Amino acid sequence: MNHSYNLNEALKARAAAQQEHKRENGEIKLDDLSRVKVLSPGRQVFKRFIRNRLAVFGSVMLILMFLFSFLGPVFYPYGQKQIFYKYEPRNVDYGMVKENTAYTGYDIDGGAGVERSVNNKMNSIIKKMVAGDAQAQTVIGEERGYLVEKLADDVYRASASEFAEVCTVGSGEAVVGTYSMVGKKLENAKNPAEGLEAAIKAAIAKDAKGGTFELDGVTYTYTRGKAKSYEITAAYDGIQYADEAMDAGFEDALNAAMQAENGFEYDGSFYAIVKQGDGAKAYRLSNLAPAKLYSRLSVSTYEVGQKISAEMNLAALLATAGDGTFEAEGKKWTIAREDLEWIVRDEAGEEFMELMPYAVRRYNGDDTMEYGLKKALMEKALQMDRDGEKVGTITYGLPMQTDTGEYVTDEEGNLSYQDTELKLSRRDTGEFVVNCQQVIYVINMFDAPSKEHWLGTDGDGFDVFSRIMYGGRVSLMVGFVVVFLETFLGVIMGGLSGYYGGWVDMLIMRLVDIFYCLPSMPIMIILGALMDAMRMDTYIRLLIMMAALGIMGWAGVARLVRGQILTLREQEFMVATEATGIRVKDRIFHHLVPNIMPQLIVQATMGMGGVILTESTLSFLGLGVKHPLATWGTIINSVSSASAMQHYAFIWIPVGLLICVTVIAFNFVGDGLRDAYDPKAKR
Amino acid sequence: MLKYTVKRLLYSVLILFFVMFIIYILMYNMPSGYVETKARELASRPGATKSYAEWLEDLNAQYGMDKGVVGGYFVWLGNAVRGNWGDSWAWTIPVTQEFHNTVWYSFALGFASFIFEILIAIPLGITAARKQYSFTDYFTTVVAMVCISMPTFFVATVLKYVLSVKLGWFDLSGMQGRDYMTLTQFGKILDVAKHFVMPLITLVIISIGGLMRYTRTNMLEVLNADYIRTARAKGVPEKTVINKHAFRNTFIPLVTMLGGTLPGLFSGALITETLFSIRGIGYASYTSMTQADIPFIMFYLAFISILTLLGNLISDLLYAAVDPRVRLS
Repeated sequence: MNHSYNLNEALKARAAAQQEHKRENGEIKLDDLSRVKVLSPGRQVFKRFIRNRLAVFGSVMLILMFLFSFLGPVFYPYGQKQIFYKYEPRNVDYGMVKENTAYTGYDIDGGAGVERSVNNKMNSIIKKMVAGDAQAQTVIGEERGYLVEKLADDVYRASASEFAEVCTVGSGEAVVGTYSMVGKKLENAKNPAEGLEAAIKAAIAKDAKGGTFELDGVTYTYTRGKAKSYEITAAYDGIQYADEAMDAGFEDALNAAMQAENGFEYDGSFYAIVKQGDGAKAYRLSNLAPAKLYSRLSVSTYEVGQKISAEMNLAALLATAGDGTFEAEGKKWTIAREDLEWIVRDEAGEEFMELMPYAVRRYNGDDTMEYGLKKALMEKALQMDRDGEKVGTITYGLPMQTDTGEYVTDEEGNLSYQDTELKLSRRDTGEFVVNCQQVIYVINMFDAPSKEHWLGTDGDGFDVFSRIMYGGRVSLMVGFVVVFLETFLGVIMGGLSGYYGGWVDMLIMRLVDIFYCLPSMPIMIILGALMDAMRMDTYIRLLIMMAALGIMGWAGVARLVRGQILTLREQEFMVATEATGIRVKDRIFHHLVPNIMPQLIVQATMGMGGVILTESTLSFLGLGVKHPLATWGTIINSVSSASAMQHYAFIWIPVGLLICVTVIAFNFVGDGLRDAYDPKAKR
Repeated sequence: MLKYTVKRLLYSVLILFFVMFIIYILMYNMPSGYVETKARELASRPGATKSYAEWLEDLNAQYGMDKGVVGGYFVWLGNAVRGNWGDSWAWTIPVTQEFHNTVWYSFALGFASFIFEILIAIPLGITAARKQYSFTDYFTTVVAMVCISMPTFFVATVLKYVLSVKLGWFDLSGMQGRDYMTLTQFGKILDVAKHFVMPLITLVIISIGGLMRYTRTNMLEVLNADYIRTARAKGVPEKTVINKHAFRNTFIPLVTMLGGTLPGLFSGALITETLFSIRGIGYASYTSMTQADIPFIMFYLAFISILTLLGNLISDLLYAAVDPRVRLS
């Protein structure tokens, strides 16, 4: 029979018997077990631990910190990357008043259009016309010729036409033809002078390479080309007609136009002049047809947001040159000029829209301003332009806004208005920017602590309180992982080293020396800079950082474990394990390591504080965990500039205190544990 | 003793060899194309005297980048042993010159904080031990623990906030006031000294706790020794017991520890100097690290590794020197 004797049960039985006895006799003897309380070693340590006030304080702080960091986010409504917005009255860029300088092209129905290269040049062409006060201007493109005419102020029409070269003016050289040695005759010659063929023959006979000869006062040059032929050019001066010669009246008009550098009209046709070097070429434009309308007038309707069709716009523009009436969208309209604007009225004489050379728009380009406001802004801008003022203000009723940026309406749903001061300032580029106070939706940056955000918000509109919670998670987690890693490595290496001794010990201890000597902070900084350069993902960074810290920290644990094992392995229980033939692995990890557990726990607890410090320092330097992932270090880093530090103390002081309290708590608990495990060391 | 010292020195050289090898591996694995980027940058700097190709060749050859990790390490080692540390990439002057420019500021700062640390921590630690479990003891213990637990950057930030922003006594950072150039020689020294005050306080605060606890623990150990009981039993005045019998014995571990930290005075305070922009070697090396200035980093890390090893050696030798009972073997 397997008889087992359990001391605990025997003691319990004896105590029960004595209790019984005591109840019967009502007396307690000196060796009564109820007078002597037997505590297990664990309970003893616990009892000594809770007697230490600082250690208890530390434990409570740690428990609170864990609850705060790991459970807090569950109950707290905001996330760590949640951006908060708010409505705030701000001085915003409300609108812009700008003189239209660009001429917009409108396609005329059935018009031929304008080729791209000319269309691109059109703005500068029209501006030149405005500057020279010209009524018409000719342009020769690659495909067609164009006539640009002024219809009215700011309205120009381009007509396309075919063109043909009429003549060349000025001095120069022109190819007359080629002389072929094969056929012994002139080829490709246009209007050759009489006797040219004979003259070239004579010249070639004189000099076969090339040269010059004169005929009828004109100097000809011939050069030897390919295929046994000579190219003949003639120097010319004056007007050289391409086809038929024109009369003297044309030549007078041409010479006059040369002075003015413009096209001209002669005998019912338009002629264009294109300068070439000293001379010029004249082209005749024929079959003119309207192609495109150019105007810098922009439309403003009296009612906000009314859309104007392109046809109506075009019709109105065309009507500026006509009798002032036009038809569009099935109605009749009249257009009349008043000062700078053209006002369009319907049949009843009601004003419908305006065409003006100024664009008054919201700053983002929307055309949603009221007509009255537009008009007021434009007039102010014009007045400032006249008086050379840089800054001016007007007061005008803008739609009233509530604190949350909504527009206020009365019972009938009409907008309420509120007089607002609008400030116009002129930019160097000529346009006027309109500023005024408006309630807008912005990121809630650096908000002071309030009921919604207990510690305010940071520079990204994140809630600081929630970031502190999430930051605590990361910081504590980093502490745990790193300490676990270094303890794990340290126990294995230290255990092997201490147990085996000899060359294993020698090798591992030199390795420990090396790792002891490695400067960990510089290496972490270098690693951080390296990961910066590689633009690594922030979570991977976190993992690498934890691994690096663990690898850098195991040497201390290994030394501790080795030292303990060296003393323990000489003791009787280790001799017993050897005698009973327990495997080496089990001897180290089942019999030796549990005996050094107290020292390991103390070391690990103290180490936790150190790791949290290192991590927060690295994050503070921007080389650890990166934004937007929160850690305590990054939160302080975000407000470490001089002005932020001064104004946003509500962000960094709580976080800094939290780091301090956590590290202090770990140290107190570690201290308390050491004293509790080994009371002799203290006294 | 001599034999022991020589043995330890040889060990230290071996350790240093491997420490630098590990660091070299880290530096060697800088993102690919780094040297090319650096060469391009150096070549395009105003006043650059070499072209990109020349710089590239130069850098690769100088640091043995073309010879693999092991080969490259030996190239670096060969140069380093001959005292040829190369030119700093971040500071564009020889590494040794930049070292010479900065190390004395670091030493001044470190030495001053060392003195203050001793003056404050040791008396407090002794007092705490003498009156164990008194209010003074608890107060000192808690203060020491708080000092140990505070992150450098938080201490620095609080100091800046209070002394600089709120009270306006000191400049926020930097080493010289804006009118530095107009001051006399003596005024310049005072100006720099004034800028050293906040970093000094920071350093003292964060390092004072450890020494205080160490002193207290050792003093407690000594006060519980038999010879103290004997001294008290034979009626030696308490003052003499503490100052002569107890303190002299506490002195042994203290001297050992402080002697070990002496070389560290040259290593610079990496974080503190950076936070206060003190142009010491710590700040210089931090800047170099973030800019991957390989020559300077290799030099600096070799330097502080040597200092660490030297510190360990000094502390072991002092242990034997101060305590005649100890025999080194």
